[in-house]
Amino acid sequence: MIANERMTVHGIELEVLRGGNGDPIVLLHGMRSLTSVSRFPSLLAGHGAVVAPSCPGFGGSPRPKDFDTIYDLIHLQRAMLDAVPGERITLVGFSFGGWLAAEVAAQGHSRLARLVLVDPVGIKISGPETPDILDVFNRSPAEVRRAAWHDPDRFAPDFDAMEDADIVRHARDWEALCLYAWHPYMYNPRLRYWLSRIAVPTLVVWGDSDGIVSPDYGCAFAGLNPNARFETIAACRHHPEVERPDELAALIGSFVRS
Amino acid sequence: MQLWFHNENTYPFVPQNILDEADSVRASLPGHLCDPKIAADLFHECMDESLLCDDLGINIVSIEHHAGINSLYGASPIVLGALARQTRNVRILSQGTLISIRQDPVRVAEEYATADVMLRGRLDIGFVKSGDSEMASGNANPVGNLERFWEAIDLITAALKNQDGPMRWEGKHFSHRHINLWPRPYQQPHPPMWTATGDPDTSRELGRRGMVNSVVLRGIEGTKRAWSAYRDARKEAGLPEPALDRFAYAAFVYVGDTDEEGVSVGSKLLWFLNTSLKQAPQFSKFLPGRMPPEMAPSVYRTKPRPGETRAARPADGLIGMTAEQAIQRQIMFAGNPDTVTKQIMAAYETLGGFGHLIFIGRSGYLTHAEAEKGIRLLAKEVLPRVREMARTRQPAVAA
Repeated sequence: MIANERMTVHGIELEVLRGGNGDPIVLLHGMRSLTSVSRFPSLLAGHGAVVAPSCPGFGGSPRPKDFDTIYDLIHLQRAMLDAVPGERITLVGFSFGGWLAAEVAAQGHSRLARLVLVDPVGIKISGPETPDILDVFNRSPAEVRRAAWHDPDRFAPDFDAMEDADIVRHARDWEALCLYAWHPYMYNPRLRYWLSRIAVPTLVVWGDSDGIVSPDYGCAFAGLNPNARFETIAACRHHPEVERPDELAALIGSFVRS
Repeated sequence: MQLWFHNENTYPFVPQNILDEADSVRASLPGHLCDPKIAADLFHECMDESLLCDDLGINIVSIEHHAGINSLYGASPIVLGALARQTRNVRILSQGTLISIRQDPVRVAEEYATADVMLRGRLDIGFVKSGDSEMASGNANPVGNLERFWEAIDLITAALKNQDGPMRWEGKHFSHRHINLWPRPYQQPHPPMWTATGDPDTSRELGRRGMVNSVVLRGIEGTKRAWSAYRDARKEAGLPEPALDRFAYAAFVYVGDTDEEGVSVGSKLLWFLNTSLKQAPQFSKFLPGRMPPEMAPSVYRTKPRPGETRAARPADGLIGMTAEQAIQRQIMFAGNPDTVTKQIMAAYETLGGFGHLIFIGRSGYLTHAEAEKGIRLLAKEVLPRVREMARTRQPAVAA
């Protein structure tokens, strides 16, 4: 149902997952790129025509020379929306991809109809000595694992069991995430001010025990956008698309139909 | 041959059980574990050791590391400034301000120009790529570190050379609209430039630029790889063969009255390897950008698969080393003056010669008195003989 394809946007070659029919659903991955064996894109393809690109440097997408800022990614995702056929686009972003989706939606796009943000990062809520987002690069891998997964033994990456190609993909994701999001760490100091510009219905979804970025942050995030409603999914942390794919796909499906 | 004293001003006085429990002895140990009164004593002892070197004709390396027991020299330019005023004779190599974690290379150029003027032209500038826990301490993105490193060097060089009024820099990582150093450096067009690296690709670029390539604690094989790359790159670029003063070898050195004393006191230096290198996995094996993602399978797994070669940072191979192993690998020269002379010359011959020997002469629990004794014996009993031998021998360049 989901095919792994290549597409070119603004001259930039991207790996992209495609599947399903109907109104387009553009899916922006989080800290880890999506693959065709992930269940979630297949489930979501039951609700629309899914287009899920890997950002440059992530997964199987090469990164052009000097393409290394959030600014580049926002422009690319706007160009991606231009390239997607269909009138009523739903833009879905997880975590880091949620940040990008919020940036794109705040800038506006003529065919953007709905926005879904799943455990997004991207804004600063608390005071300067209180980090909102766990530092996945500076804290111990064991702490990050506990914070990211409700059931780490079942879902967290196990490098000893993974094949070489999957580890290389993981390392590419990690490097690209670090390149784009190191400083300021995982947020744009000005995005918070502009979030109220988002003019489309918005669903903000949170893993109810997310330890990377808390549901309280999610509530505050949703509160900055008058068109947003906030939902949580039980028994998952930072990756509802991996730990609770059926519930998340159903929630987004019903939002798309609403 | 020039001799350089290198002392990282280590702080070994954190209880071992705390070090054992910590996942990293760099970057993250709480500041309350560092007693500023002890630190003050250490700073003054280390400064006195440098002044002794100044009297004995041994050049001095001024280094920088951040937030760990391995070194108290986080504010490196301050120490360089003190050395600039207090020494009178020898050259000072700042190796160096960690330029890829400093936000403004123009400020670094100002510091270096000022130090060179205070030193009346006795400054050498060494660049260090940095990495691992320094990225956290310096708030510097580990991805793209090398690209920033070279742009910072280009900018610092341009700023030091500029004498024609305000200049501008609009690069990828750094921009500055009004660069105009006062004072400009004492040495023209700028002080000699070095880089510490064992990475052959970096050495190739040093070769093309003609900078000094110091190699720190990489032993013979690692040093050969770097210097071969340096020489090859110059040849490929049609540049003349480098003189020996383009190469610096760095090792632990301790000279005692007897071999037993040299080895037993010298082995205290290995604290640096065995205790102060420990870094948490997020600062080492999982730090993005420190190696290509294609190498991740052999780094990320807890144990290699059958037939898989383990990839590791160079420092990993140094942890847990005994004095005998360190001497055998030629990263430590220790013994009586005759023995140390022979050990240094053996490395010199094997490597095809080098113009500079950097010796790490104090670390860990090696005391101030022991350090000064070793420095004196090295300067008086070893250095003249090594210099004479190096002058009369023309070693073949190692293949």
